[in-house]
Amino acid sequence: MVNLGNAAAAGEESSQGVFGFLDNWKRSANLLGNMWGLRSELGKAGLVLAVQETSEVFGNPAGGMRRGADYDGLTVAVLQMNTQRAFGWYGGTFQVSMEQVHGRNLSADNLDAYQTISGIEADRSTRLWELWFDQKLLDQQALDIKIGQQSLDQEWMVSSNALVFANTMFGWPMVPSADLPGGGPAYPLSALGARAKYWITTPLYVQAGIFSGSPAHDTSGDAQQSNRSGTSFVLNRGIMAIMEFQYVYPGLGAMVSPDEGEALSRIYRIGGWYDSEPFADQYWDNTGTPLASPDSSGIALTHRGAFSFYAVADQMLWRSHVDPNRTFNVFGRVMGTPQADRVPIDFSMNFGFTFKDPLPYRQDDTLGLAMGYTHVSSALGNYDRAVHKYSGAYSPAQGGETYIELMYQCQMTGWLQLQPDFQYIFNPSGGVPNPLHPERRIGNIAVLGLRSNIAF
Amino acid sequence: MRFKMRSLSFSLAALAVLWTGWAPDAAAAPKGFLETIHRHAMVASTSPGNGDLNPYAIFLVPQDMGVLKKDEVLVTNFNNISNLQGTGTTIIAYSPVTKTSRLFASAPANLAACPGGIGFTTAMTILKSGWVIVGSTPSKDGTTGTKGDGCLLVFDSNGKFTEAWKGPLITGPWGDIASIDNGDTAVLFISMAAAGLPAPDVRDPVTHYPPILHNATVLRFNLHIPPGQAPVLDKQTVIASGFAGRADRDNFLFGPTGLALDTDGTLYVTDGYDEEVTAIDNAVNRTEPVTRQNDAVGRIITKGGLLNWPLAMIWVPGHHLLVANGRNGQVVEIDPDAKKQIYAQWIDSDQAQQPPGNGDLFGLAMTPDNRGFYYVEDDMNTLNVSLP
Repeated sequence: MVNLGNAAAAGEESSQGVFGFLDNWKRSANLLGNMWGLRSELGKAGLVLAVQETSEVFGNPAGGMRRGADYDGLTVAVLQMNTQRAFGWYGGTFQVSMEQVHGRNLSADNLDAYQTISGIEADRSTRLWELWFDQKLLDQQALDIKIGQQSLDQEWMVSSNALVFANTMFGWPMVPSADLPGGGPAYPLSALGARAKYWITTPLYVQAGIFSGSPAHDTSGDAQQSNRSGTSFVLNRGIMAIMEFQYVYPGLGAMVSPDEGEALSRIYRIGGWYDSEPFADQYWDNTGTPLASPDSSGIALTHRGAFSFYAVADQMLWRSHVDPNRTFNVFGRVMGTPQADRVPIDFSMNFGFTFKDPLPYRQDDTLGLAMGYTHVSSALGNYDRAVHKYSGAYSPAQGGETYIELMYQCQMTGWLQLQPDFQYIFNPSGGVPNPLHPERRIGNIAVLGLRSNIAF
Repeated sequence: MRFKMRSLSFSLAALAVLWTGWAPDAAAAPKGFLETIHRHAMVASTSPGNGDLNPYAIFLVPQDMGVLKKDEVLVTNFNNISNLQGTGTTIIAYSPVTKTSRLFASAPANLAACPGGIGFTTAMTILKSGWVIVGSTPSKDGTTGTKGDGCLLVFDSNGKFTEAWKGPLITGPWGDIASIDNGDTAVLFISMAAAGLPAPDVRDPVTHYPPILHNATVLRFNLHIPPGQAPVLDKQTVIASGFAGRADRDNFLFGPTGLALDTDGTLYVTDGYDEEVTAIDNAVNRTEPVTRQNDAVGRIITKGGLLNWPLAMIWVPGHHLLVANGRNGQVVEIDPDAKKQIYAQWIDSDQAQQPPGNGDLFGLAMTPDNRGFYYVEDDMNTLNVSLP
C-alpha cells in the first residue's frame, strides 16, 4: 500500500539545490523529499501526492514447470485531496491513483500455482486504478460514503497483519480471485460502485457496497487485457453486492479498568458477497453432457449468480512490557462457497503470525511466518477425472494447494524497506500435470525473493 | 422488514455491550470524570500553510486579547513539513466559532537566543497579561544527535515574537507549563528533558537501547510583568532533578512531560520513561531540589498499571488528574489523594499503530465548560474534542 502519510511528511530540503533532498536522506520519509517544491505547492491546495515503487526479484531454485528468476515491479502514484483544506468542505476526500506494472511474472512463467507468489504480479500496463470521492457524515463521522471507481482489496476482507507478506493471497483472497469475473474488482483492476460504512456502536461497524459485477466488458478473455487503460467504467455487467461487519477492539471511547489485563487489540470481520454475473458450470455443458465428453457441445451450462461468505480475524497475542512496540500477532481468514458446481475454487484460507519489532530497537521491522491453502471445487476435480475417463490422458483430479511464507521486512530508512522472502508451495494448482512434462504433476516449489519498497 | 432491521440493530447493540466487557452500573455514582465522556470528534487540522506537523501543546485562550478570542485553542507544532522532530516553528489558533484553524504565530528557524534552532514542544501557556510563552527543544535532523539546548520564547497576543530566554538551566523545555498567574507576577513550572542525551544511534551495550540518563529537571521561573511590557524573568530555580531521559529514534526523547499544580503548592509530574506520576511537595516555595531516590523523583502517586509512557496531564472535575498515554491511545484518570488509577478510556483507536494509537497523543486541555477536553492526534495532525 502506498503510504500517504509519508508523502504528507515530505521535506522541503530539496529547495536547497537540485540534490538538496539528499541532505537528510537517513531521516527523510521520502527519497525525493519535497520533489523540488511540488509537494508543498500541492499541499497549499489540500493535495497530497504519494509515489511508491515496489521492485522485486523472485526465483524458484526447485520445483515448478521450469526453474529461473524474474524481476517485476509496480509503480503506484496516488493523488489525494482533502476538501476541507482545499476549499473548506468538511469531511470530503477525493482520490485518484495510477499504476504502472513492469517486468515479468514468475508465477506465470515458471510456477503454474494458483496462489501466485507476489501481490504485485499483473500484466504489464499503465492504467488508471482508483477514482473516487469519500464523504464523512453525521456526528463523530459515524457514516462514511465512497462513490466511484474502487479496488475492493483496499478495504474489504482485509487482514492488516497479512498485508506485510508478499504472496497475492494475503491481500485479495483466492476465492474471489479465481471465481469472480476478471478476478473481481481488485488490483490491478477496479470497478464503479458505491459503499457506505456506518459506525453502529462501539465496537461495531458495518459496511455495504454495490459495484459493477465485472471490472471489464469482456469476461471471456483476460480482463486486464480487455481493460488495459483502466477506463472501461463498466456498468452493464450486472452487480456485485457485498456486506461486512467489523468488530474492532479497542473501539473509540471504550473504557479500561485498572485491574484488566494487557489491552490486546483485535479486529474480527465477517461478510459475504453476491455477484449476479453468469457463472460457468465446472462439469456439465449446456446439453447435460459432461464437458470432458467428446459428445459435449463445449459450451458450459451457465448459472445465474454466485455467492461466498468469509471471516477474518486479526488478534494481538502478546506485547512486551519493556518495549510496547514489540508485539506478537496472529491472523486468520477463511472463505468459501457451497456453490461448488459453478466455481473453480470453493474454499481458501490464510493463517499466520507476525512479530513486530523482533530485534532490540528495530521498532519498524516485522518478522512473519504464514501459510495459505486453497481447495479446488469438487466439480472441477470431477472434470479432471472425466478427462482421464474419456481421453485416457494423464489427468489427476485437482485437490488442495498449500504454501508457506517466511519473510523479514526491514525498514532501512524512512523511505526504503527491504524484504527477503521464502515461499514453499505444496501440490501446485492442486496437482495439475506439468505442461512441459504432461506425464507427471508439477513438483513442489521453493521460491526465494527480495522485495524493495521505495517511497518517493 | 423494518421490524427485522430494528431487531437486528438492537441485537447488535446488545452484543456490543457484551463484547466491550465493560459497562458502568447505571445505579452507581460516577467514580470519576471519564465515564461521563461519550463523544469524540475531530474539529480541525493543526497543520498550517508552511506544512508543520506533529501537534504537541494545547492551551485555551482565557479571554479576548490581541487577535485572540476567548475560548480559542492554541496548538504548537513540533515538526516541520519534513516531519523532522524539533523543527516545528508554528502555533495555530482554532476558533470554535468559525470551526477553522489559522496560523497565530511563527518563529524564525534560527534565533540567536535559541541555541540549536526552533522546535516547539508541549510547554506553552498564556498569561493573563496576554503574553504567550512557549518552549523550544530544537534539532537539525529530527534526532537528539543534533539537539540544541533550546529556549523559551515570548510572543504578544498578536502573535509577534518579542524575546527569548536561554541559560544554563534551560536544557530542553519540554513539558506542560503549570503556572500561578497573578497578573503582574507569575510563577511557571517547566520540565527540562534533554540535558546530555546522545544521538538515538548511541546504544547501551547491555540493553541495546539508547542509554537512560537521569538529568532531567523541573525548573520554577519567577516572573514579573510590567504594565504594557513583556514579562521579565527574575529567577530560575531547580525544584526537582533526576527524572529519567532517553533518546529515541522514532519519538525523539522520553522525559518528564506532564505538570499539574495543586492548590496546596504540590506539583505533580509525569515521568514518562519510568511510567509514574510523582509529587513534588512545596513546589512554589522550595529552594532545594527534590532529587532521585529509590527510582523516583518525589513521592510516587502511581506507577505502571494503565500508565504507558505518560505525557500531558491536566486537572479534571473531582480533583482528579487526566494523563495522556504516549504509547497507546488511552487517557488515564488518577485520583492523586487516594494514589490510585480510576480507569482509562481509548480516545484514539487507530489500528494502524501497534498498539492502537501508539505515538499519537500529546497535549490535553479542558473545554471552557469543564465538561470535556481537547486533545491532539499526531498521526492525523488534528485537534480533537471529547465531550459528554
